[in-house]
Amino acid sequence: MDARKKIDRRDLLKILAGTAALAPLAGCKANILGSPVGINRLRPPGAVDEEDFTGRCIRCGRCIEVCPYRSIVPLDATDGVNAGTPLILAEKMPCYLCMECVVVCPTGALQKIELEDTRMGMAIINNETCLAQTDDTLCRTCYSVCPLRDIAIHLKEFKPQVDTSACTGCGVCVHACPIEDSNGVKPILIDPDFVPQGESS
Amino acid sequence: MIGRWRSSIQTFSILALVVIPILNYYDFTFFQGWFQSIAFGGLWIVSPLEGLECILVSRSFYAPLLWGMLIPILLSILLGHVFCSWVCPVNTLQVWTDRLLKPWLKHRNNRFPIPRALLWYVLAAELILAVVLGKPLFVFLSPPGLVGREIMTIIFFRTVAVEGLLLLAILTANLISRRMFCRSFCPLRGVLALLGSKRRLVVTRVEGAGPGCRRCDKSCPLGLQPSIGESESIYCWNCGRCVDACNDGDLKMIWKRSSQKPQDSCLGDEKILR
Repeated sequence: MDARKKIDRRDLLKILAGTAALAPLAGCKANILGSPVGINRLRPPGAVDEEDFTGRCIRCGRCIEVCPYRSIVPLDATDGVNAGTPLILAEKMPCYLCMECVVVCPTGALQKIELEDTRMGMAIINNETCLAQTDDTLCRTCYSVCPLRDIAIHLKEFKPQVDTSACTGCGVCVHACPIEDSNGVKPILIDPDFVPQGESS
Repeated sequence: MIGRWRSSIQTFSILALVVIPILNYYDFTFFQGWFQSIAFGGLWIVSPLEGLECILVSRSFYAPLLWGMLIPILLSILLGHVFCSWVCPVNTLQVWTDRLLKPWLKHRNNRFPIPRALLWYVLAAELILAVVLGKPLFVFLSPPGLVGREIMTIIFFRTVAVEGLLLLAILTANLISRRMFCRSFCPLRGVLALLGSKRRLVVTRVEGAGPGCRRCDKSCPLGLQPSIGESESIYCWNCGRCVDACNDGDLKMIWKRSSQKPQDSCLGDEKILR
């Protein structure tokens, strides 16, 4: 019995040492603990603050399974501790705001909200590369596809304009935009970290 | 035979992990998820350890999460950690590898003994590390959860996640020492075993049973010795293999009416399950 106890203690020390060895490893490589969210990389509708999301989400995948458009994809361990969390890659497949995922989340990582209250990010139009803004064409693709047409995107002198108080950040406009520069960057993008003017974070 | 029931449930559980994503793929979403959270319509079940991590790291309580944890917690309190032995797909995969490689695995049982109590330290270390980092870990490393996630990822996206290598590591470890991961390393087993420490369903030795042939000891996948009463310890996961292995009927799986010590009980009070 004594022998067994000794081994236990030694193993405990090993675990503690292993834990201590892991800590700096996590610190030096930013993406192990860092957020996968960025331009056109969005959390599903109703997501809690990104700071809390990794802790709230238990990776049950039910939002991924319920999404009829396969917009929500699971991350893997190359995104560190965010492995298994859901992400929407707006350029590949945007969110069509069916609001099914917010209902099935068992942990409240996705909160039940209405379509209009969804804020996954903010559509931002680059006035220098958007052909409608530079008067090269009368393109209004983003305006036509916007689920909140005339509310989130409206036309001003035939040029699409985003209303920052109404845009849900669903990314349907980004997905539809036909223009792409040599780096694959589109004139419209979704910024999940957008803070409206006059409001502090 | 307990074994036949157990095999059926194990096969059913693996089948569910394949069928549920396929149904969801074709937009039938009545059944959902896998062993992190599984939904049968409005009945949501949440794995206790993942739920606990979520509560500890987010420092908040969310009612559906707590309700979801209730059923597995109650089951473990009453039946012990039968999830591991009767349902967990990782154990089932190990059972199947055992069956497949039987001739080569004969003498493996105690080849690389690791103290059982390591289980508690792993659980404690896992929870402490999650709180210190502020990020839950078992939620994405949970082996039973990973089986479900990998199957869904294959069906939905025709790809796999790299952390699935953990499953291969567990299956390889099982070749070296029987159920090496389950025995000493699985934090989920730690939680469920703790919950089941005063379980009602126990494997117990019939009073006055003769000197053992120790067939039961050899049958135990966890290396416990039912012949000296270890089946009543916190580590027994009630798989019932020892009961099936015993030719003399000296071991019974019984339902204890109250929390009396099984040694003191006499069989007259108990409903014999076999």
